[in-house]
Amino acid sequence: MAPAWLVTLLVALPLLSALLTHVLAARLGRRVADISVAAAIATFVLSVGLLAAALVGHATDAVALAGSWGILLFDPLSTLMAFVIAGISLVVHVYSVRYMAEESGYARFFVLLDLMTAALLVMVSAGDLITLVVVWHLIGVLLYFLLGQDTRSHSAYRYAFWTLFTYRIGDLPLLLAAVLLFDAYGTWSLAEIFAQLTVDPHAHEVLGLPLLEVVGGLIAFAAFARSAQFILHTWLPYTMDGPTPVSALMHAGIVNAGGFLINRFAPLYANTGDVLHWIFLVGLVTAVIGSVLMLSQNDIKKSLGYSTMGQMGFMIMECGVGAFSLAVYHLIAHGLFKGTLFLGAGGVINEARHNDGVPKDDLYTFIVERKPVRRQQPLLVMAAMTLIVPVLVLALAHWIVAQDYFQKQGAIVLLFFGWVTGAQLIFATYRLRSDNLLRLVSLVVFSFIIVVVGYTLISHALDGFLYPDPTFGQKIYAAAGIDLFWFDVLVVLLTVIVVFGWFVTYYAERYGLSRDAYPRRIWEHFYALVSREFYFNEIYGRLSNIVTATATRLNVWLRWV
Amino acid sequence: MTPLIWLLAALFLPLFPLSMLFNALLARVTHVWLRGLLLLVWPQVGLALLATTSQPLPDLVLPWATLTAALYALRALAMRDLGGWSGFIATSSWALLWIALWAGRDHAVVALYALGFSLPLLLLAQLGACLERRFGAAYTGVYGGLAQSLPRFSAILVLVVLAVVATPLFPAFASMLGMTIAIVPGSPATAVGMLLVWLLWTWAGARLLQGLIVGTADAHGGGDLGRAATWSYSALLGALVVAGVVSIGWQL
Repeated sequence: MAPAWLVTLLVALPLLSALLTHVLAARLGRRVADISVAAAIATFVLSVGLLAAALVGHATDAVALAGSWGILLFDPLSTLMAFVIAGISLVVHVYSVRYMAEESGYARFFVLLDLMTAALLVMVSAGDLITLVVVWHLIGVLLYFLLGQDTRSHSAYRYAFWTLFTYRIGDLPLLLAAVLLFDAYGTWSLAEIFAQLTVDPHAHEVLGLPLLEVVGGLIAFAAFARSAQFILHTWLPYTMDGPTPVSALMHAGIVNAGGFLINRFAPLYANTGDVLHWIFLVGLVTAVIGSVLMLSQNDIKKSLGYSTMGQMGFMIMECGVGAFSLAVYHLIAHGLFKGTLFLGAGGVINEARHNDGVPKDDLYTFIVERKPVRRQQPLLVMAAMTLIVPVLVLALAHWIVAQDYFQKQGAIVLLFFGWVTGAQLIFATYRLRSDNLLRLVSLVVFSFIIVVVGYTLISHALDGFLYPDPTFGQKIYAAAGIDLFWFDVLVVLLTVIVVFGWFVTYYAERYGLSRDAYPRRIWEHFYALVSREFYFNEIYGRLSNIVTATATRLNVWLRWV
Repeated sequence: MTPLIWLLAALFLPLFPLSMLFNALLARVTHVWLRGLLLLVWPQVGLALLATTSQPLPDLVLPWATLTAALYALRALAMRDLGGWSGFIATSSWALLWIALWAGRDHAVVALYALGFSLPLLLLAQLGACLERRFGAAYTGVYGGLAQSLPRFSAILVLVVLAVVATPLFPAFASMLGMTIAIVPGSPATAVGMLLVWLLWTWAGARLLQGLIVGTADAHGGGDLGRAATWSYSALLGALVVAGVVSIGWQL
């Protein structure tokens, strides 16, 4: 059987399961979940087979189920994403069998879970614009009902609606982009559009602007809404009233769709000018704000929500620097660890009720009690190590996979982030209380090497799998690049800001700030702003009230007709 | 003669303020089958009138139709009566048909778009009548929690509302898709306005559902839908999905 037909079977399995679960629910009772789990296992096994076929080099294939739409693709990106989705879906299915056992609407939950799995699988294998638009829209609707599983809870539906509304905001630019592409190229097929636009990328304009820039911007906007980028992020940390398995599925799978979408349109972005810079900027702002908000939360699930926002920002930022395959690796890695955290959150909370389980060790006294070490190591030695070790590790790891990586601006930006992260990690050990500092630092450095080398090697392997043509990869990096002079200026400027920040933190903690000091007041205002999540909920709530109040006033004026 | 036909058509393919006449009439018709007939036939009369003239529509029709659609979609947010809500969404969606006609779509095609909008509204009128029989009124926020007390009815209601607000794969989605494809080359700004109207429909639909099905059940208006009625509604919804899928393929 041709691989594309197996992709059809992959999508059909959860659909069939949804139908059977619904029809047999009354007869089988709680045992109806077995059908859903069995289908999830079969889907996962099939996805493994498809990924294996892609890995051994099976050619890209497609099948059209309904003429010019309903095209399903078999290609490296679709098989890899289908494998991830099927895997996460299987874990969520198995977890839900017992977790949801006491909830009402047990069968409905599994029907929706199966439908969501099918929709996600269609999304990643869609080979035409209409199919992509249809499932992109349907995923938002299905998520609304999954999050509103408890039909008694008004608050669950309130925040489920926020999600639906944000997703719908993202649906519309995708539809507009699809129609603009069809209008220009006369086909809905992604493969045909990419083939045509590569021949002459500047052949079409819309409203006097280059078509690809406009379409690239619209698609990016759709991705931003789906991946909770800054100002479209508020739904993400507030949808915790939904069942935990849904949170896991959402944070591990659905929210990553933005990164997938940008990857799917990689041939388009390789021919754009400024769009990738904007994508980088939005991702950067989201990564920073998401991380800051995560650190200020005292609710574990909300903190996880903002953590996802920060990670999504990082993923989008990777797309913005041209590291498309790295973004895919990031979304997979994030999906796995965030799914694990969500599914484990309930157990952790339950355990903590009996025993806080926090060991009174170095990490605890440092992070929770904020007690620095009494006898500190020589600052100069630690500072030198802090700055030099990450640079060496990162440079060596990248040199192993590609000697010319210094010529790619995107690689430099990511190295820069890696260096900041690594330096902060190692510097933290300077302040840890430890009897054997050498052992501690060695372990930290060793862990850092493992992470960096693993990340570099796997992302390099993924690059070869998803984008085997090196010319195409260079084209994306070139599209994401900026003028070398300004690039160097920005790198130096950011380095100065980061190092300055470190020094300010060091002096503030060592000598403290007086109560009336101007920086302290600024800091307190900033903390108040962050702890209130920049008032976004209040602003959106107020706007929503204004719109509905206007609607009521209009109805009264017009006598309700 | 043509301006008179346009004016009459603006009554049947309602443009504000003539749209108020249709909604006033709909509010006075209490018999469910008559309401259904009105929802089905009203836009078709307008389209038949417009088919009698070959004059191209003036550009003014674009902002007028878009603003009418936006006005009624916005007003639907605050409409708690199911019958009135149906009228507002009908007005909003039918007003958009002018845009398809301006873009040069054939009258027969636009008649199918209108049908795509009207058919789910027929089902909604039936469900509204069911609610009126059970509770005395089809009103949101008065007796929430239908998902608990009437699960089968609620499931059907959810699907019908999704069909009304042009969710894929229902025919109204195909209508919106066809109209977007038609208008983007000629007036991208109108396309953006049309898509924003669509966004308001989703908002209005979610508010309607949340006012009816969500919450704890504190009133019982008799039994749930019978199995036969549930299967009948399901079959009709299935037929709508099939029609929607065929329509999408046919648009392309």
